[in-house]
Amino acid sequence: MLDMLRQYVSGYVALTNEEFTFLADKIVVRSLDRKHQLVLAGEVEQYMNFVVKGLVRMYFYRGKTEVITNIAKEGQLIGSSASFLSGDPSSYYVETLEPSLLLSLTREDLDRIYQQSTRIEKLGRLMTTQFVLQKEEWELECMRLNTRERFLRFVENNPDLMQRVPQKYLASYLNMKPETFSRLKQLLRKRPTVIKTTNR
Amino acid sequence: MTRTSTTHKAALDKLHHYLSAYVPLNRQEFSQLLPYIEIREYDKKVKVIREGEIERYLNIISSGLARKYLPLKNNEITIQLATEGHIIHSELSFHNRIPSGSVVETIEPTVFFSISYDNLEQMYDQFPKIERLGRLLISELFIKKDRRYFDQLNKNTRERFLEYIRTHPQMMQRVPQKYIASFLNIKPETFSRLKHLIRSKKS
Repeated sequence: MLDMLRQYVSGYVALTNEEFTFLADKIVVRSLDRKHQLVLAGEVEQYMNFVVKGLVRMYFYRGKTEVITNIAKEGQLIGSSASFLSGDPSSYYVETLEPSLLLSLTREDLDRIYQQSTRIEKLGRLMTTQFVLQKEEWELECMRLNTRERFLRFVENNPDLMQRVPQKYLASYLNMKPETFSRLKQLLRKRPTVIKTTNR
Repeated sequence: MTRTSTTHKAALDKLHHYLSAYVPLNRQEFSQLLPYIEIREYDKKVKVIREGEIERYLNIISSGLARKYLPLKNNEITIQLATEGHIIHSELSFHNRIPSGSVVETIEPTVFFSISYDNLEQMYDQFPKIERLGRLLISELFIKKDRRYFDQLNKNTRERFLEYIRTHPQMMQRVPQKYIASFLNIKPETFSRLKHLIRSKKS
C-alpha cells in the first residue's frame, strides 16, 4: 500500500527512507464504502487523498445539475484541492464512486511536516505545480479541441474509466450532453471498419 | 540585462514587499536573490513569448499589463490578463520544457522581474526559504485558476461580467474590450450590451 505511494512520490523527489517514514507516519488509511461523501460544499477540505484502490469523483451543483470536475482512480490524488490549500470553504463535493481505499494526510499534519523538512516541502511544491499544469492543459484542450476530439482523446487515455464510470458522469466531466456522449460512443463502435477502408 | 541600478530601486522595494507577504525576507536575504533576477522592459504590443518557442522565464509584472492567449485557426482566446504583482508566462512550456502553445504579449509598456528556469532551480537548491515561497506562490496560482474555472462553469454571462468589473474596475480602462470579452468567454456584442446595462444602472 505504502509502496504505491512511495513510487508515486519518487516521480517528484527522491526521498530517503527516513524522510519517507516521516511522511508515512502521519498518513491515515481510510477504507470507505461507495457513495461516501468525503467533503461537502461549504466545509473546509481537511484531507489530501491518494487512491490506492477505488474511484472518487469531485463535483458541484449548478442549480440542480451535478457538474463533475474531476475523477480520480488508483495512483492519483484527489481532494477539494483549492480548499485544502487556501483553508477556504470548498465549492465542491468529493464522493467515492466505488468502495475505496485511501491514504490521507491532513492539512495540519502536512503543514507541520513542511516546517521540518525542506525536501518534503519541495515535494509539495512540485505536486502543486503539477496541479496547476494539469488545470492549464485541461483548459487549453477544451479550447483547442471540439467535442468529438475531446471524447476520442479521453477514451484513448482512459479506456478503463469507460467501463467503471456511469456514462452520465463521464459526459458531465467532459462537459457534453449525455445524448452527445452516447452518439459519440456509437461512432466508436464503427471505427474499426473505418480504419479497414483506409488501409485498402 | 540584469540591472539593479537606482532607476529600479523603487521597483525592487516593491518586489521585496511583495515576496515578504509570502515569506519574511530581511534585506540581506532579499539582496542574495537579486543576482538571479533579471529586469526586462518591453514596449506595448510586444510578444514576450511566441507559439512554438520554449518559455525561458517566469515573469512577475513590476509595472504594466500583459495578456496570455491561445492562437487558434481563425481566432484567438485570451486566457490571462495580468497586471502589477501577477505572474505571467507560458507555464506548460516553462515547466515541461516543450514548445509553447500560447503567446504572452504586452498590452502596455511593461517591466518584468524575470527568473530563468535554471536560475529558479538554483534558487530552490540554495535557499530553503525560496522553496516555501515557491510553494505558496504556486498554491495561490492554483486557487485562482480553480476559481476562474469554477466561475466559467457555474456563472452565466451576465454574472461573470458583473463579477469581473466589480473585482477589476481598473481593467475596463486599461484593457481593450475584445480581450476582456474573450477572457470572460463572452461575445463582443454581448459584452457591449452588458456595458450599457451598467451605465443605465448608475443613472
